[in-house]
Amino acid sequence: MVDVPALFATIVAGIGIGAIYALVAMGFSLIYKVTGVLNFAQGQLALVGAYFVAIFAAPSIIWFVPAGALPTLGGVVALVATILVGVLLGVLLERAIFRFFIGEPVLSVIIVTLALGGIFSGFIQFLVGPNFRAYPESLLPNWSVPLPFGTEISGPFAIGVVLSLVVVIALMVFFRYTVTGSILRAAASDQQAAMALGVSIERTIIIAWTLSITITAIGGILLAMANGGAGFAIETTGIIILVAVVFGGLDSVPGAFLGAIVVGLLRELGRFYVEDFVGAGFAEILPLIFLLFIIVVKPYGLFGTERIERI
Amino acid sequence: MPCGEYFTDYGSRMGLFRWRTQRIALVLGLPIPFLLPFVIGGGTLNLFAQIYIFAIAVLGLNVILGYAGEIVLAQGAFMAIGAYSTSRMLGTGAGLLPAMIVGGFIAAGVSVAFGLPAVRVKGFYIAISTLALQFIAEWFFLNDKAAFIHGGVQQTVPVDVGLLGSFIRISSRTDIYFLALVSMLVFALLSLNFSRTGIGRSFRAVHENDLAAAVLGINVFRNKLLAFAIGGFMIGFSGGLYAVLIGFLDPSFFTIELTLQHYVMLLFGGLGRVWGALLGVAMVSILLDNLQEFFNTYAPDATSLIPVLFGAIIIVVLAVEPKGVLAALGQLKEYLRKWPYAY
Repeated sequence: MVDVPALFATIVAGIGIGAIYALVAMGFSLIYKVTGVLNFAQGQLALVGAYFVAIFAAPSIIWFVPAGALPTLGGVVALVATILVGVLLGVLLERAIFRFFIGEPVLSVIIVTLALGGIFSGFIQFLVGPNFRAYPESLLPNWSVPLPFGTEISGPFAIGVVLSLVVVIALMVFFRYTVTGSILRAAASDQQAAMALGVSIERTIIIAWTLSITITAIGGILLAMANGGAGFAIETTGIIILVAVVFGGLDSVPGAFLGAIVVGLLRELGRFYVEDFVGAGFAEILPLIFLLFIIVVKPYGLFGTERIERI
Repeated sequence: MPCGEYFTDYGSRMGLFRWRTQRIALVLGLPIPFLLPFVIGGGTLNLFAQIYIFAIAVLGLNVILGYAGEIVLAQGAFMAIGAYSTSRMLGTGAGLLPAMIVGGFIAAGVSVAFGLPAVRVKGFYIAISTLALQFIAEWFFLNDKAAFIHGGVQQTVPVDVGLLGSFIRISSRTDIYFLALVSMLVFALLSLNFSRTGIGRSFRAVHENDLAAAVLGINVFRNKLLAFAIGGFMIGFSGGLYAVLIGFLDPSFFTIELTLQHYVMLLFGGLGRVWGALLGVAMVSILLDNLQEFFNTYAPDATSLIPVLFGAIIIVVLAVEPKGVLAALGQLKEYLRKWPYAY
């Protein structure tokens, strides 16, 4: 017999983690939709978000800065500061790197983002060391929302579900009904034509990157909250996010949201039902096997635009 | 082309070594690596052996990425498969050479299996499917429950093995050095010649524009899988050699960082060119070794800056000279040839 409460609890946990993944995944598909950059450093961007909150909230940078030299910020201030860092990082990335790779072959862009991933995680490791960094109490939501069958959804997951729903709806509205959103869509569909009509491509790229990095950083922060602190394991979400966006169709924001929920469910169900037979860690591998299946069966995903190639 | 040398037949025009300068360079240059063990020793010799081994892997990557244009992000996985299979085969007493060849074939098989999505998609999708392979392989080799297949998460590779059965013992560092050198030369010669065969040319056609290649009657899918098979074999083979060199197997040697390192080597040297790959491996390996030594001596806390530096190198190389050092050297040569004139 199926143990209904346990199954329900697993599904709730899956949706919770999936919603947090959805934030990171939407960051990915936003960038791909507008600028055509496939960002393999998405997991590391989430990592940057998670660790910067820890750095701001409890400053103990092991390099250059002696202990106690930096002011300790409160939890909420640290969050805001991290989001500001995300925005700055977006501008910096566009100015310093991605400007040079407009119109370059996909190989170059993939390698550049892979290299960026190495830079981010190496630099964070240099700043704070390779260890797990616990978040201060003020940043750990220790409440939970009760649900039927005696299960409950813990604070970070609940925030994740609400926030990712808000973000996906906001992004859909933004792209459909605002002027800036239309400009972003125009730039995405034909850069040359958009430029001829007076759209500043540079500005659209900066907007896309800052939006994407901000959403991704929030996702990383929530992931860290769910674990009680920032750890380098967040890096591996990058590959899981790729599964979600491929399933949703690369350039569709709602697709990324749905894909991430499915991947989160797959992961939790795999952890609950399969891991005992195959070995620890299989929960992270199950989405990858699912990915291979999607690529062969339905490569353009649920809502992706099918590309037609001509010589 | 040097002055005063003319081709009088097609044979000499098509030769690997076409000009007198090249022949002289070959005669003078080839003995140097063979004489090296008598001059240097210890760690430096190990470093050179490692350069030769990585050169084989990077040449394999060059077949897939440089010739056929498929982005493969699973260097670590292929090398791990080769290494663990070699270690398993050595246990049966078959000898080192058959063990490495079997390891290469297993890696080639896995590589083809994960290249199968190429039937429907290309580019980015192949990149993620092989990246998935990398993570699956890391999990697989760390999993105790799969020990009946890979034979244990951590393994020691015997230091004294026969090359074929129990004949020709490979026991000392120098033996491994020569084995790696000879294998590297064989694979370098093979891939130099490979790029001039019909298959090599169809790979390049697929790389340039696979739609156009299909229109011209090239079976794109078969050629891509063939590239995966050949490249996978070379990378798996080098994984086996690497296992013998380090004498100890751990999944942490074969992570995504290794993949990134090999990409730096290939891109730094020059994508799609054998000499570029060799040059890139040598330069990046020596740089990496010195960097590690420098950081270990002066700033042990900052070793995590090495990936940062590597990433920066990749981005700068791709932005400034996407064709690598070899292309830059070619430009320098042209400049010197015309000097002091500008044309």
